[in-house]
Amino acid sequence: MDKTAEPLCERLATDLDDGFTELVRVHASAVHAFLLRVTGNAAEADDLGQEAFLRAYTALQGYSAERRRALRPRAWLMTIAANVWRNHVRTCVRRPVAGARVEDSCESWPAAGPGPQERADTAADRAVLVAALARLPERARVAVVLRHVVGMSYAEVATVQGCSVGTVKAQVSRGLGTLRELLEPEVALLREVTM
Amino acid sequence: MNRGGEWTSQPEGRVETALAGLAGPAPGDFAARVLQRVGVPRDRYDTYLHLDAPAGGLYVAYGVESVTGSALGGTLPGPRAFEEAHLARTGRSAIPTTRPLPGLRTALRTGRTKNLRIDLPELTEAERAALDAVRTIPRGQLRPLAWVAREAGLAGSAAVTEALVVNPVPLLIPCHRVTFDDGGPCDLRYGPIVGAALRDAEGIDDDLVGLARSGTVFLGSDTTRIYCHPTCAHARRIARSHQVPFRSARAAHEAGYRACKSCRPIAA
Repeated sequence: MDKTAEPLCERLATDLDDGFTELVRVHASAVHAFLLRVTGNAAEADDLGQEAFLRAYTALQGYSAERRRALRPRAWLMTIAANVWRNHVRTCVRRPVAGARVEDSCESWPAAGPGPQERADTAADRAVLVAALARLPERARVAVVLRHVVGMSYAEVATVQGCSVGTVKAQVSRGLGTLRELLEPEVALLREVTM
Repeated sequence: MNRGGEWTSQPEGRVETALAGLAGPAPGDFAARVLQRVGVPRDRYDTYLHLDAPAGGLYVAYGVESVTGSALGGTLPGPRAFEEAHLARTGRSAIPTTRPLPGLRTALRTGRTKNLRIDLPELTEAERAALDAVRTIPRGQLRPLAWVAREAGLAGSAAVTEALVVNPVPLLIPCHRVTFDDGGPCDLRYGPIVGAALRDAEGIDDDLVGLARSGTVFLGSDTTRIYCHPTCAHARRIARSHQVPFRSARAAHEAGYRACKSCRPIAA
């Protein structure tokens, strides 16, 4: 499934610190990309990524050598990252930033939408796509990002989502359909402007 | 702007490729910050970054206080390849970072890498001795294999060539400044094109390389009666009218010349 997984798991089993360093080296980019595309915010993706790896490390400490050896690192990490993100979203819903005290309000600014950094990162075409991605429902967004941005197989995505491969395929296909629908009006609008 | 129908012209694939394009690398020091936050001791892994240098820049990996490996950007397809090669050679993970080892940038800019700490525990005693000798060759100068062997205290130049082939820290251990005993460049680590680019960046004179091609191994001055390696700072000061070329140390000795004490050519 994943060429790098075997030596990586062997390292994890023999020495946690060595193996974890290797885990971070190989998968940090994928975890960050996943969180960035799911949240649409670089600062948030950074924080949640750190949180996810911290959880992964704590979990690995409690695992036996056999369990570490049998691990599928990428799917496992993405599961943690997805859970961290869902928890974060739930916390944000339960404690909305509007309810914060006045002196805390500056902390809510980064979450208000794409900042200058995000806008620079996602120039022109990509900005349209990123905006559309943010409008997908949560489960579909996770499935689409894992399958097409991170490039995982349907089986791996199914492990992360905790459902069957068929369900994932349906989620991805429906997500892509919604994306196309969301993107089309933009195109139509552009055509109107340019013609 | 001809963007009409971009998303719809090929219903299967267009959105998918655009999505795949959204997967970028994490910000420069994300992985390093993760390890710091988690609390993995710093001596368990190496960090690396890509610095400006001739021949496609230089990847430099380092531990707590010493450099443990490097590779020229032009010789590798990308950072992933460097990470893999570093892991295979040292058994340590190289994590990208944005903060260079103190003194590293200066060493690269000035070409004075003698004081940089380089730690290569995986090499043999002889290889390390040879590479340490190579490190003493000053910027902009060339030395033959036999010279390196003598400075390293090795019996023959075979041991030196072996060390040059494996040199795990190109550029910082300046193996591009080593020549064969006849004066021709000895680029065993990365081939003549990269070697030429590195020498060119140090301003190593093409005339002097040309001199070597015509059979001149040493250059003497008929005013001081001293002979040097042609790239030695003292040899480059000799006025053209006073230059005396020699084909061997023996020839110079027989003409009544002594060896330069600065570049220490092998005496007859």
